[in-house]
Amino acid sequence: MYTLDFALQILANGIVIGSVYVLVALGLTLIFGILGIVNFAHGEFYMLGAYFGITAAAIYGLSLFPLLLVGILGVVLVGLLSERLVFRPLAGGDMTSSIITSFGLAVALQNAALIAFGPQPKLLRTPWAQIPVEIGPVFMPLQRALIPVIALVLVVAVHVVLRHTWTGRSLRAMAQHGTLAQLYGVDVKRVAVVTFAVGAALAGGAGVLMSSVFLVQPTVGNMIALKAFTVVILGGMGNVYGAVSAGLFLGIAETFVAGYLTNTLRDIVGFALVVVVLLIRPQGLFGRAIDRA
Amino acid sequence: MRAFLIAVAVLAALALLPLAVAGGYLLHVLVVIFIFVILAVGLDLVMGYCGQYSFAQGAFYGIGAYTAAILHRDLGFGFWQTLPSGIVAAGLFGLLLGIPSLRLSGHFLAITTIAFQTIVYLLLTQWTSFTGGQYGLPVPKVGALTLFGWELFRVETVRDFYFLALGCMAAAIGVAWRLAHSRIGRQWQAIQDDELLARAIGVDVTRGKLVAFVASAGLAGAAGVLLAHYLQGVSPDDFAIWTSATVVAMVLAGGRASIVGPILGAVLFTAMPEVLRSAQSYKLVIYGVVMILVVSFLPGGIVGLLRRERRA
Repeated sequence: MYTLDFALQILANGIVIGSVYVLVALGLTLIFGILGIVNFAHGEFYMLGAYFGITAAAIYGLSLFPLLLVGILGVVLVGLLSERLVFRPLAGGDMTSSIITSFGLAVALQNAALIAFGPQPKLLRTPWAQIPVEIGPVFMPLQRALIPVIALVLVVAVHVVLRHTWTGRSLRAMAQHGTLAQLYGVDVKRVAVVTFAVGAALAGGAGVLMSSVFLVQPTVGNMIALKAFTVVILGGMGNVYGAVSAGLFLGIAETFVAGYLTNTLRDIVGFALVVVVLLIRPQGLFGRAIDRA
Repeated sequence: MRAFLIAVAVLAALALLPLAVAGGYLLHVLVVIFIFVILAVGLDLVMGYCGQYSFAQGAFYGIGAYTAAILHRDLGFGFWQTLPSGIVAAGLFGLLLGIPSLRLSGHFLAITTIAFQTIVYLLLTQWTSFTGGQYGLPVPKVGALTLFGWELFRVETVRDFYFLALGCMAAAIGVAWRLAHSRIGRQWQAIQDDELLARAIGVDVTRGKLVAFVASAGLAGAAGVLLAHYLQGVSPDDFAIWTSATVVAMVLAGGRASIVGPILGAVLFTAMPEVLRSAQSYKLVIYGVVMILVVSFLPGGIVGLLRRERRA
């Protein structure tokens, strides 16, 4: 148990889980940082992505990449509808009411999924789940090993869009100073639509990827959303690069706690960290103090 | 005075109701409503009056319920002992959660309370040796309530419990009303309106916020003890974050800082799933949609709507 090989295997598992946290948390932190919306239904985006993937696999027998596309597109559609129907009417109101409306949305989506897909847990099976990959002492199926790779590609894509396109610039301008950005001609509605599309796409993609590792049920989004919130807080709310570091950190910390201490503490680690961090460094582990509103 | 008379009339009507209806089902729904009224009115103190968003009411509810269950298991406590113990235990945790509120506000505080709520829930589900895990713990019926050796009342049936819950709810509303309309209540509103100004005119903000959290948590603890004895057991899923969110929705939907609002909200959100029973599996979808609609289109809640009607 105390060999280096064991530690490396745990590290690899932690990176896999951490990269899923990164994807979900990235969308959440974008939506919070740019629009000031606390979206508790984000876990449901993840859950729906997983179900869209599983359903498409069952009907059309697609391989992983087309499935990923199906999951992402489906969830983007759900995300855009939510933005239009649920969050846009709230714009300009009390920010905390977004917490409650997103809770309402989460309840509605979860139970809609229960009706549509049934309560029994499902798992995504593609042929790649049978192909083993060995990197030194670390061992895992190809489908799982691809998760961090795909996550990296998606994160880099978001980075490029944010840094090097006009759309990305308008998103960052909104995050920095909404009123000023509007004065300079940034289209707020368009920014909200793009932000929700990106956020939903990342969560949906994460759902498809993770549905081969964890069983999928209509309630699976609850824990993922809460975990993503811990990541968002640890990384500094609205801080994109903080979310990436904190997501990997949480994934690795959890697998090490589960591997070396006890599995029962696994889920508690993150929340305990959050309370400590909020009390001592409210700007997050990786944030700067001036960013706090 | 008029409000007081209406309250007395409604309570009297509720007290006489079991004479008129025979079915246990209506009484059961009302007992659940009474318990949620205590939760919502308690949350209104900290959220409506003091302006501190808390998504941890479900956790205090759970702490009250599990205190009753564990003290019964280990020390053989009856209702007269579990009720104050549950209130005190939840109040102490309320004090603990009040501390971050001194430094954080808005979203940051809301999310800290969510983290607290989640930790409590995870401990209830995972610390199996102490809390019974997913299976929960048994709690006895209230049985005979004695005072100084006199038997006051026997609580065996749903109907008996209905009277007990009604009494507890009336007491809780009374406590909340007194607090909200006393000096501390006005201090809470000053803190909510402008914390800096409140501090400048000499309001003890630290004390105000902590008292609000403790009072709110204590009421939730009482509701938890009631639930534990009513269901004759506790299990963690009654105290998940969804419960907290529902209680917040009750306060927002009814109308904050009004006492009456949270009561109406509790009635709305507890009765709705029952009314929608015929819709079967769609009921929770509708429930979620109603939650969204009420918060989006009724910013002042039901009470705000009624006030506007009266003015028009």
